[in-house]
Amino acid sequence: MNWLFHGKCWRFGDDLGIDGAIMPLRFALARETDPMVLREHLMSEIDPDFAKKVKPGDLIVAGRRFGQGNPHIQGFLGIRGHGLGLLAESIPRGSFRNAINAGLPFLAPCPNVTQLCETGDELTVDFSTGEMRNVTRSTTHRFKPIEPELRAIVAKGGWKDHVKQRLAAATAH
Amino acid sequence: MGQTITEKILSRVEGRSVSAGEIIHPVPELVTCHDWYVVNFDRALEEFGVDKLFDPDRVLISTDHEPVAVTPQSAERQKKAREIVAKYGIKHFYDVGRGGLGHIFPVEIGLIKPGMFVEAYDTHVTNYGAVGALGIALVVEISEVLALGSVWLRVPETVRVNLRGALQPGTGMRDIAQKLIADLGDELIDYCVVEYGGPGLASVDIAGRHTLCNIPLEIGAKSALVEPDEATRAYLAPRVTGPIELVKSDRDARFKAVIDYDLSAIGPQVAMPPTPDNVHPIEKALGTPIHHAFIGSCASGNLADLSDAAKILKGRAIHPQVRLYVTPATQEVAREAARAGLIEIFLSAGATITQAGCGPCAGGRIGAMAEGEISINTGTRNDVRRLGASGDIYLASPMTVAASAVKGAITDPRSFLKEMSS
Repeated sequence: MNWLFHGKCWRFGDDLGIDGAIMPLRFALARETDPMVLREHLMSEIDPDFAKKVKPGDLIVAGRRFGQGNPHIQGFLGIRGHGLGLLAESIPRGSFRNAINAGLPFLAPCPNVTQLCETGDELTVDFSTGEMRNVTRSTTHRFKPIEPELRAIVAKGGWKDHVKQRLAAATAH
Repeated sequence: MGQTITEKILSRVEGRSVSAGEIIHPVPELVTCHDWYVVNFDRALEEFGVDKLFDPDRVLISTDHEPVAVTPQSAERQKKAREIVAKYGIKHFYDVGRGGLGHIFPVEIGLIKPGMFVEAYDTHVTNYGAVGALGIALVVEISEVLALGSVWLRVPETVRVNLRGALQPGTGMRDIAQKLIADLGDELIDYCVVEYGGPGLASVDIAGRHTLCNIPLEIGAKSALVEPDEATRAYLAPRVTGPIELVKSDRDARFKAVIDYDLSAIGPQVAMPPTPDNVHPIEKALGTPIHHAFIGSCASGNLADLSDAAKILKGRAIHPQVRLYVTPATQEVAREAARAGLIEIFLSAGATITQAGCGPCAGGRIGAMAEGEISINTGTRNDVRRLGASGDIYLASPMTVAASAVKGAITDPRSFLKEMSS
């Protein structure tokens, strides 16, 4: 698992809803879980061209309560489908679990992160240590990384692969 | 260092001392799931190649979201759920007409004890905190628990709320609980357990404690529970077998915050659209015309809630433009409401009584709203389309809903109490 991301910053504000701003609700209702399908619609209600602009390694930087609302996983699978990383000032608990379950490298909470960079900045983020370097501004910041136990789930590719490995280990014993 | 109730419960389950912030894999003593998700967890288990549950004796299924099948598809879903329960040998199955709402009847029948650890598919399992148990909701990860017995949990911090004073006339615990989450705010209680105690708790009955433990998760609390006391013991003594241990927080436990909350300082409140924490004193919404009203749900569907509403509705008729649904949360609540004459009061007023369970609050599958209508109800959430079509939803206490149903517009229940005493 590569925890080191290097790319462009895409900054968003507070309260981005998981059903709507991040991913249109219809994909949650249809229980679509293919990251390659979902990536095409990521943030489309805010910016219809977002999916065309981002490149693998780019970083979404968001404010408070990223993914608020009824916790559906589709938005996080869409982020993963593009190979993006995520830093948010806060993620409500249901969406926090979904970000892990989607196998997404992320950091949260990252206090004031939206004031430390802006869209277009060049960022380097190590999700295993929590270090964010803003190359454009020549500044370095450190956040608390996700716990090793939870990073292990992300490294396996998310919840389904994690459960399959737990089951295999349980039957092997 | 002392421990919170939550840390004590999880330490006992883990067999070692744990504290807030640790990642653990605790094995729950009960796992609950409602009728609508049975087919889904079965599909997930099949995908994982699992044909045996970790412990079917610890699993409880309740038919509460759609107890009366109203379409051929839902009858089919019920049939499948029964087959799945039989296939896995699930011990606690409460089908239509048996238990009722799965966040409440397990407490009534003595399945839930203080200090117990429960995990569930559905979010409002936090109600078990009414008797000092810790209920944690998992949504899809319930399949992992069913298959393997556990899932990761970060031991939550606790926000302690010390209640003092007593309720003012015309005000219910629903008003307190709604105002409380608005006052605490989501930044403070995200991923925390809200723990209630203090001198005011003694005056709060078990129904009120269900309400207090139900509401905080709407803004991101991990769970909520009451510090069990002698009232808990008195309630549970005839219901449970075996000893009752009142698990309390240590005096030197570490809380994220300690809040003092005065029950006597709060009057009727309404949660205005579109979120449960958009809470305002009722004065702000007075006179708003309504078409749809509902009393029930895991937040406010106990006997005491129905009794509060009946005090307003006794000898009165519901406004001609309003339909009022009353859903007793459980079979026991429905039976006791009948015995106490409440059902007669509701029927005489022109209300519709539905089968015990979630009632319209479960997505408006029964007793829905139409496009553009306005509802006032005691359900858990007021998101757009929560009760079917889009339209404004106001959340309030059973007394406020009853008063508003009579007047056809949002009404302060204290005006009725004045009438009654004069």
